[in-house]
Amino acid sequence: MIDNTSDRPTQEITLTVNGNEITEEVEPRHKLSDFLRYRADETDVRVGCEHGACGACTVEVDGKNVKSCMLFAVQADGSEVLTSKALNDDDELGPIQEAFHENHALQCGFCTSGFIMATKELLEENPDPDREEIVEGLSDNICRCTGYVNIIKAVEDAADRIDTVSQATGDD
Amino acid sequence: MKSEPFVYHSPSSVEEVVSLMNEHDHAELVAGNQSLAIQMNNRLATPDHLIDLNGVDELAYVDERDGEIEIGAMTTHKTIANSDAIDRTVPILAEAAQQIAGPSVRNVGTLGGGIGEADPAGNYPTVLTALDATITITSESGDRDVGVDEFFIAYMMTEVGENEMITGATVPTDPFPIGRTGMSFLELKRVPHTWPKLSAAGIVRVDDPTRDDPTVEEARLTFANASDTPLRVEAAESAVEGTSLTDDALEEAAEIAMDSADPADEMQAEAEYKEEQVGIFTKRALREAYDRALDQ
Repeated sequence: MIDNTSDRPTQEITLTVNGNEITEEVEPRHKLSDFLRYRADETDVRVGCEHGACGACTVEVDGKNVKSCMLFAVQADGSEVLTSKALNDDDELGPIQEAFHENHALQCGFCTSGFIMATKELLEENPDPDREEIVEGLSDNICRCTGYVNIIKAVEDAADRIDTVSQATGDD
Repeated sequence: MKSEPFVYHSPSSVEEVVSLMNEHDHAELVAGNQSLAIQMNNRLATPDHLIDLNGVDELAYVDERDGEIEIGAMTTHKTIANSDAIDRTVPILAEAAQQIAGPSVRNVGTLGGGIGEADPAGNYPTVLTALDATITITSESGDRDVGVDEFFIAYMMTEVGENEMITGATVPTDPFPIGRTGMSFLELKRVPHTWPKLSAAGIVRVDDPTRDDPTVEEARLTFANASDTPLRVEAAESAVEGTSLTDDALEEAAEIAMDSADPADEMQAEAEYKEEQVGIFTKRALREAYDRALDQ
């Protein structure tokens, strides 16, 4: 938890999280992951190792993925942050989330939001990755349940789903 | 775990950074925060002031000039991996950047951070040593340029002194003419997000790639994690220079490199194992560099 009841100095920051602008006082030592979970109430951001090894806390900051436990919240002042929730298609699952669901690409689900964000960035840069590129693209994230096979299948499926959607809407 | 409290500073110019360093005791500079954050979270680093370089835009650049290429300290691994100018002139730097951790680390991790951390297993110190680069250090009294051979002093220790910062690295490109130079960076690691147990950088320039069995005019061979600091093995380089990289020459270079290595034991890689790998990686890195010099 993070609290401001101590007399340690705080700093006011404003972040846009999944489209909502949030202004809060934080201690400089608080992580972006703390801010997202406890101030923005985005509990889809998971904190696994809190030292940059597991990738569960991966979010997008100003268009690029970062591990949110490795960024102090004050460093993200003024930024636009997206969590896995931003990939929803209205109230339904978006194509990446749907692909993870349909391919049983999770067991406990703790790592899933991080994998979904890694998949988003991978497919934006490379819409049709081969297996090796998928493994490389997900290499910042750890799953201790699945053995990764279904996660890789889900990414392949997500690529197909996004391809179908963009063909139907006439996007590139 | 959370870090100890600190005061955060977000300057937007080198000048501001320098004056903040002089104003405050116990200050640390933070670049991509992919290593310092770990040390701070574990309270191995407990600065009173944290000076963030991410707003200092003037430190993120790749500048190709006649005979050299200069890269700013805040240039990210991703930018280096994708830079056409780097890929054309010193491709080994792009190859090494691409092999650092995974995409979300490469998005924010920087050249200056990797140089400043000076981990013996780091990619940049080893590659910049192979390239015989110069590091620019800036302070209140201006810039000073330090050759890589003097920059890395000991385990995680560099020439950077109190109230100084790394602002860039410059690589001379004249020794590596395009068309007859090959470069190779190879890592030995079990999973992408960990430090390599060993890495090798090999560079080979041949006389004429179009003739049969071209001769090696110049070779460079360096290792990461084979010693406390980046290890350049000049005697092994000499062993292959003037040859057409025959098996005998490679064998001799490998023996010399193994003798020069002084690796530390670590979990999953004993010193003896690393030494043996130094020999294997000598041959692989030089062979790949030579093949690449011929294949263009």
